[in-house]
This record gives sequence, structure tokens and C-alpha cells, in this order.
Amino acid sequence: MHGEARQSVRMEPGPNPSSIGIEIDGPGRAYFDSVVTDNIIDMVMELAAEVWTVRDRQYVMENVLASQGIDAATLIEAHRPTAEEMAARRILREAFVARLLAGFLRRADVAEDK
Amino acid sequence: MMRDGGLDRGQLGVLPRPVRLADESYLEFLEAFRDVLLTRMFPAMAAAGHARLQAAGLPLDDDALALATIQREFAKAPIVPSWQRFMRSQQEMMWRRTRASFAATAAAQLDWLAASDSAGPGRLVVDPDFAVPDYARREIHLQPGGYTDDPIGGIVYHYGTKVFYQGGNDQDELHAELVDLTTLPADGAVANVLDLGCSVGQGTIKLKARFPDAEIWGLDVALPMVRYAHARSAQQQVAVNFIQALAEDMPFADGQFDIVFAYILFHELPIDIIPAVLAQVHRVLRPGGQFVIFEFPSASQHLPPAHRFMIDYDSRDNCEPYSPGFVHADFRGLLAAAGFIVSDGPLSRNSFLQSIVATRP
Repeated sequence: MHGEARQSVRMEPGPNPSSIGIEIDGPGRAYFDSVVTDNIIDMVMELAAEVWTVRDRQYVMENVLASQGIDAATLIEAHRPTAEEMAARRILREAFVARLLAGFLRRADVAEDK
Repeated sequence: MMRDGGLDRGQLGVLPRPVRLADESYLEFLEAFRDVLLTRMFPAMAAAGHARLQAAGLPLDDDALALATIQREFAKAPIVPSWQRFMRSQQEMMWRRTRASFAATAAAQLDWLAASDSAGPGRLVVDPDFAVPDYARREIHLQPGGYTDDPIGGIVYHYGTKVFYQGGNDQDELHAELVDLTTLPADGAVANVLDLGCSVGQGTIKLKARFPDAEIWGLDVALPMVRYAHARSAQQQVAVNFIQALAEDMPFADGQFDIVFAYILFHELPIDIIPAVLAQVHRVLRPGGQFVIFEFPSASQHLPPAHRFMIDYDSRDNCEPYSPGFVHADFRGLLAAAGFIVSDGPLSRNSFLQSIVATRP
């Protein structure tokens, strides 16, 4: 790391500055010598937030089901999804992957700007 | 609050819940993450940066130490860019998820705001010809649309600042503390109070709780803020009034107020606007009236290098374009020049804030 790395890289806003969300939807900031490091940290934070969200939901779900006398663990293993359910889960999965990789997409070619 | 029936998860006291459990869990994770960044990682970063300065033979208590020198030496500690990355990322993630959550019920919320506009017990005053100045139309704190340009920005700001305060203001506890610390005029008479730069009206409502017989006004430049503030006060049946107006051009009478209260307003104003605001506050206060200010620190308070580093980071990377101008200005001198008698106010639990009481003679 050299000293300039700690000066965030200012990047031009996205193509539609009249819309809201320029700060969070544009290229944002980079802090490391390699922007890939910034992107990986974004990905790890998204993963961590999603892991917690899933754990929290599972905790709530098991409590809700237990309050109804339902053994969720056994029922989940026995579950066989319909085609419609598989399609719906695919949409959710693809949105999650897009969020994970957003850092890499939004700063596709800025490493040399530093 | 009336939101979309299928997604309305109600409120936690006076705090709206995100519309899905997944949003709430995700944002609670970010709140916990932010808490570690501020309470554990920032002190570690400050210690590392200060150690780097000392290793370079540089003093920690010299106000003349250049910011560029602080940045250069801090940059040698690997924790520094990591902290910056984490801060920026959690803030971006927080706004993305908060806005996406409440946007899922945007139509119902806009209906609720519209139905509340004319509801009592307080009034909402909006001039349809009001023009928001360009300086206010920034995405302050990275919030999409900032204060001014997102019709559902009020509820988004409210929940976003819940995360910002790391859960310590869920029931407006911090606003209550600052209102409780408000210094009264010497004669004790309080019949009219103004909350200047009121945003979503958390302080405004607490002012009514402290001064139940007084007429209370909240003023803000942003329509999404005052509409939400008014709807929230109507929901709580608190008789406070809100107006969209400029602090530098207030539509109030000379000497109307006994107290003007301003919480973290001035660091979000361009420095060249501030003298006009102070002149207006002086005008609308009656003789003996108090101007109660809780605000970012001033550089004259001999800030440690780590605080100077953080304020600069916050300005550049958390969209606080005007805060360095405020921090490095002689704010107390500006108050005195506007005709106030300036004194220290009582300090709050938030040791970052300075407290000033300015009295109109």
C-alpha cells in the first residue's frame, strides 16, 4: 500500500445523474491499490449480511412452526418443489448473485485511475 | 401507519418496521456491523494512526499539522483503508436495502402522506411555489435523493438514521435527551419554540412533550421530511406544526420565538449561507430568547488528528460537502457578529457534539 491508496478514488456518477441514487448506484469509492480488493470486501459484506438474514429467518421460522406443533426439519427434507417453486427460487438466487458481484460490475475498469 | 396490507409489519413503538423480515434482519446486521466499526475499529484506527504520527516525530496536539500529513501517516496503517471500505460499503448497503424495503409499499405510503397532509392536531404549511435551492439537493449521507428528491424519503431517512444511531435512537431517545438539555430564557417564559432543520420531526415532538403549552414549529427545506414529520405527529396526535421553508428566509414574525433549537443543522449548510441563517434566527427570537445548538465540533476545539481524518472522510465519502467549511469556520465568531451573546451549553452523552447557547440580548 502506498499513501495515496488511502485517498479514496473519486469516480464520475452514473449515466443518469437526474435520477436518485447516484451515490449508491454509481461506481462509488475505492480505497485499495487494487480495486479488486474493494470489490472482494463488498462481496464478503454482502455474503455476511445474507448469511445473517437467513439465520435470523430460520430462527423465526422454527419458532413459528414449533408454536403450531410442526416438525419443520423433517418436513423440509421430505419436500419436493414444483417447477413453479424452482423458477421462483431461481429468480431469488440470481438476484443474490447479482448483489454479490455488484462491486465488480460497478467498478469494471477503474483500477488504472489511481 | 397504513401501508400495503400484505406487507405492513407495523411499528416498533414510534419506529416503522421494514416491510419484510428479511429486510429487517439484513439491516440489523448492518447496524451491528456499524457499531463495531465505530466503537471498536475507529479507536483502533485512531491509535494506529497516532502511533504512525509519533513514529514520524510529529506532534498529536498541533493544530497546524496539515491534513495531508495526517492522511499520509495514517495511510501506513492497514486498518485505515479497511475501515474506510467498511464504512462506505455498510452505508451503501444500508440505503439500498432501506429504500428497497419501503419502496415495496411506496403507493400505500404516498396515500398515507396525502391523507395526513390536512390532518390535525397540528398543521402542515407548504408553499406550492417554493423552490429548493441547489445546495440542498445533494445526496447527503449517500441517501438516494437526499432530503429533497425522494417522495418517500421521510420514512427512508427515519429508518436509515435508526441504523446510523446503532439502535440508540429507536424511540427518539437522543432527541429527548437534547430537548431535556435545552436552556430556557432567563425569565423562564416559553410560549413559542422553533425546531430549525427539523427533518422528520423527532426533536419537534419531544419539544412539545417538554413544553406542552407552547406552540411548536418544525422548519425544514425538504418536503419529503416535513410531510413525513407531519404525518407522524398526526399519527401520534401531537399538536406540532411543520413548514417547508428556508432557514435563511423564514416566514415568521420578528421576536416570535422564545427558543430556537437546532440539532446538527449547520454542518449541512454552505458556509456562505450561515450568516444569513444566524441573522434570521436573531430576528425571530424575542429579546432574552435562546438559540440552542448541538452541532459538529469546530476545529478551534483542538481536535485530535483521528477526528480530523474522520471528518474529512465523512465529508468526501459520506457526502457531507459542507461540513469542512463549518468545522474550520469561526462559528462562535459568526454568532457574536450576528448579535448573540455566546456561551457553552450543557454537553450530551454524544461527546462528538459541541453544545452552544446563544442568547439574543
